[in-house]
Amino acid sequence: MKTILQAENVEKVYRVGSVDVAALRGVSLDLEEGEFLAIMGPSGCGKSTLLHLLGGLLTPSGGRIVIDGEDLTAASDAKRTDIRRRKIGFVFQRFNLFPTLTAEGNLRLAERIHAGGGNGGDNADRRREVLRLLKLEDKMHHKPLELSGGEQQRVALARAIVNRPAIILADEPTGNLDSENSAIVLNMFQEMNYRFNQTIIMITHNPEAAAMCRRIVQMRDGQIVAPNTGLQV
Amino acid sequence: MESLVANNIRQRPLRALVSIAGVALGVCLVMLFTGLSRGMSNDLQRRSSNLRAEIIFTRPGGMELTTSTANLSTKYADELLQVEGVAQAVPVIRYVFQGGRGFGFEQVEGVDWDAFAAMNEMRLVDGRAPAAVDEIVIDETKARNGNIGVGGTLALFGGKPYRIVGVYAPESGARVKMSLAAMQDALEAPGKCSYILVKCHDGVDPLAVIGRIEAQPSTQGNKIQLTRDIITNIEKTIPYLSVFLRALVGLSAIVSALVVMLAMYTTITERTREIGMLKALGASRGYIVSVIEREAFVISLLGLVAGFTVSFLAGYLINRAYGLLFEYGWRWALVAALIGVGGGVLGALYPAVRAANLDPVNALSHE
Repeated sequence: MKTILQAENVEKVYRVGSVDVAALRGVSLDLEEGEFLAIMGPSGCGKSTLLHLLGGLLTPSGGRIVIDGEDLTAASDAKRTDIRRRKIGFVFQRFNLFPTLTAEGNLRLAERIHAGGGNGGDNADRRREVLRLLKLEDKMHHKPLELSGGEQQRVALARAIVNRPAIILADEPTGNLDSENSAIVLNMFQEMNYRFNQTIIMITHNPEAAAMCRRIVQMRDGQIVAPNTGLQV
Repeated sequence: MESLVANNIRQRPLRALVSIAGVALGVCLVMLFTGLSRGMSNDLQRRSSNLRAEIIFTRPGGMELTTSTANLSTKYADELLQVEGVAQAVPVIRYVFQGGRGFGFEQVEGVDWDAFAAMNEMRLVDGRAPAAVDEIVIDETKARNGNIGVGGTLALFGGKPYRIVGVYAPESGARVKMSLAAMQDALEAPGKCSYILVKCHDGVDPLAVIGRIEAQPSTQGNKIQLTRDIITNIEKTIPYLSVFLRALVGLSAIVSALVVMLAMYTTITERTREIGMLKALGASRGYIVSVIEREAFVISLLGLVAGFTVSFLAGYLINRAYGLLFEYGWRWALVAALIGVGGGVLGALYPAVRAANLDPVNALSHE
């Protein structure tokens, strides 16, 4: 099976005033194509920092990260942006949709950026398929504020998956949702994982959400303390 | 297709309107000032070109734009008629006063109508020549703009009413004329004038006539100039006009750029989180700069349209209210367009680059 992600001894140190604060202390993680991984741990353990590093939003202080064969740590800022554009999809706790664009507009913007900013990348069939799978067909002309939290998160998931990235990084995607909507969104994540063999890493505090993943990683104090717990499918 | 740029503008109409107004202000400044300068200059040139006299005889200081001097004796007219080659010599008093609506300057000329009209091939299209001390004639433009005519009155010399007894054409010199005697009476300057128009016999070289006039001992100390040089001299009497216009153009560009920069800077702060989202999606710095620059470009274009519209409307209304002439040229319109668009796009450049350099994680956590 193809390895999508390799993280070797990743470190991240933040400088706060004159004090160095270690957020990650040598994290190593491998992920195969089609895996659905949950990262759990208490607040401040470094989960989000790890996700931002894996997504190329931050640069590590040490170690190496390879996404789908491309070394993020050796890349320049522009190159990391390019890798993120081609290989990574993000889903955030706060949805982070563009409020001035409709659901479809948000997807098309992601397509346009994925295509390099030009007018290409418009794939109506794929967009419709994703919107249909996420049961958003009748919401495509609605703006985010006209949608419920669960619907907004489904649009965010649709936006992340519409370009078929190598990996989706989800940072507490159900953190702002009630249990009913959480279940719907998690089912959608699972559906995308099964149907498209989509590789997903999801940060969550919710054990029920984590239980839907194929593998669970536990973190504490900037380190992975349990690299392979939970369900093995 | 749904556009992030268009939707951003629609979503924040007040900010967009302020930016558009800023660009429009810069365009208006350039268009109105250059239009007024060009309009007034061309108007003076047109009216001066209708004078058939080739030479103007005056005393130094007698032809200033904003002064009213009647310091030249009309007796010089008789002496000038004795000079070989001179066909006619007509004394004129020009009186300059503040406009009736407290804006700009207006001129009245005192002339012996029959001699003046014969020399300059002018005719009365309505009414008759001024005779009494409270009678005036006006040109067709004045009649049309002021919607006045024979039988109407104009307040001159401190509000004193003057009856309009005739309308003449073509326009030449001041738009209002009265008899020389009436003007001398009003200014308490009997036997005096501001300058004397000199017409040469056909085929005579005016420069040769000027030489002969200058050779006369009695004309020493006076100023003799060709009528065709009047415009050049008028421009010299408004020193640094072109420098002022250039400074104004630069100022307009700065105003446009600053307003757009402030507006775009504000919007970047408002949209920090959205810029973080763009970065998370993998948008390059160039793409982020282009989104903001496209927004500034659209705003600048709208400002340009608004600026041109307001300029033409304001020019028309000022002309109707005060009689000031505006003539817009393509060259200055192009400069105004470049200032509007260039100022807007350059003004947005700093906020755009700042946005492109935002840290994505910080931007995403921005409240």
